[in-house]
Amino acid sequence: MTSGTPVLFSLEQVTVRRGGTLLLDEVTCQIPAGACTAITGPSGAGKTTLLRLLNRLDEPDAGRVCLDGRALPDLNVLALRRRVALVAQAPVLLTGRVLDELRAGQPSLSEDQAAGLLEQAGLPSGMLDRGTAGLSGGEAQRLCLARALAARPQVLLLDEPTSALDAASARAIEQLAASFTAAGGTVVLVSHDTVLTCRIAARTLELRAGRLTVTGPAPHTADLKERP
Amino acid sequence: MNPAVPTWAGVAASLALVAAAIAIAWRQRLHLAREITIAAARAGIQLAAVGAILLLVFRHGGLAGAAGWLTLMVIIAGQVAARRARGLPRALPVATAAVAAATVATMGTLLALGVISTQARVVIPVGGMVVSGAMAAAAVTLTRLREEAAAARPAIETRLCLGQPATDAFAPHLHAALRTALIPSIDSTKTVGLISLPGAMTGLILAGVSPLTAIRYQIVVMYMLVAAAALAALTAARLAARALFDDAHRLRPLPAPTAKDHR
Repeated sequence: MTSGTPVLFSLEQVTVRRGGTLLLDEVTCQIPAGACTAITGPSGAGKTTLLRLLNRLDEPDAGRVCLDGRALPDLNVLALRRRVALVAQAPVLLTGRVLDELRAGQPSLSEDQAAGLLEQAGLPSGMLDRGTAGLSGGEAQRLCLARALAARPQVLLLDEPTSALDAASARAIEQLAASFTAAGGTVVLVSHDTVLTCRIAARTLELRAGRLTVTGPAPHTADLKERP
Repeated sequence: MNPAVPTWAGVAASLALVAAAIAIAWRQRLHLAREITIAAARAGIQLAAVGAILLLVFRHGGLAGAAGWLTLMVIIAGQVAARRARGLPRALPVATAAVAAATVATMGTLLALGVISTQARVVIPVGGMVVSGAMAAAAVTLTRLREEAAAARPAIETRLCLGQPATDAFAPHLHAALRTALIPSIDSTKTVGLISLPGAMTGLILAGVSPLTAIRYQIVVMYMLVAAAALAALTAARLAARALFDDAHRLRPLPAPTAKDHR
């Protein structure tokens, strides 16, 4: 990491086991504030597990995770989760109407604020009264992202946000992540999509079988062409 | 002797019905003849033993003996209800506490208000009905809660990720489980007397009591069963919901339900 870049998360010798399977093996790394960090690697490498540690949806069996130098168990977990929002790979909608869905993220949200969030996620602001049942996969995923933003988080954890989306939806999510970091927010992104990673991530962490194998700046898109 | 009650010779004669069931099973090659024989023998031996013990408790135990008997029933009922909710964290203490709370509150109210007598011969059968109703409600509640928690994990974790506390994140699923647990009890209260004559009333009528007297007992029984089911379901749901989450508002891992759990 560039010296002088503030560290947001630091993981120290983090190990996670589930049912005898080693998911993360003594991972030590840092995630900078105000930038997009991508976690890459093959399926089953421990990417999602690492992401879930950052908002305490999972707990390490050994080692510790710190936010701004403080161990996560020392922080109020509910405040932590409002500060560090996680959007899962498969969109999960909780209510029957778009406006209610956004208010699940922030109950005091006004209709104007809700419309603003939809626009931010690349959705038409006039769909507040629409039912959630008829939304496409891409619309649902963008609505989940808008719902996460409703609580005004400082960190966005995105788990494969574009894996099942059409190009337009993927582009909207990519733009949202870029504008979020431009406004000073931090994005941690799990993705198989190397092109997306190169476009929006400033830094990558590569996991293989639970071990951190590569850490450093993300390659430029042009570098990909040189790869075999 | 009450002519409505069969003699021991009559009990022996009713074995002819068991023999008929065994004969049908044997002729149809159901491989159930041995099972039926064992079930019939067990029923006879268990009921004879229970009858003998009850006779002792009625004669010498008094209210303390009845309380001891009910405690034993609560422990057994807790184990039965917990078995239905295999895989749920702390299922045994949760189920036992739910049945115990419902039994103590319901029986305590009936005794305190003088609705039923404090005689062991009254407390034990009435308490048995309460324990049984509480056990059924606790078992359904815990089974449904475990299924809801496993199936709705993505929705629950989504709510947790939005900063909701575990109680709020699980509330819709808790309400669904409670409704499922209480509907049978409410339905049987609604239709009592229309679809079937309930057990307590049937027993009193067989014993020669006037139907108009028997219904008084049955009304009390129905009311107490609704209360017992509601209390057991609510206690089970609250305690189980707490056991499903840890201090960091995380849903604990749950084993996938097996075919055995649905038996």
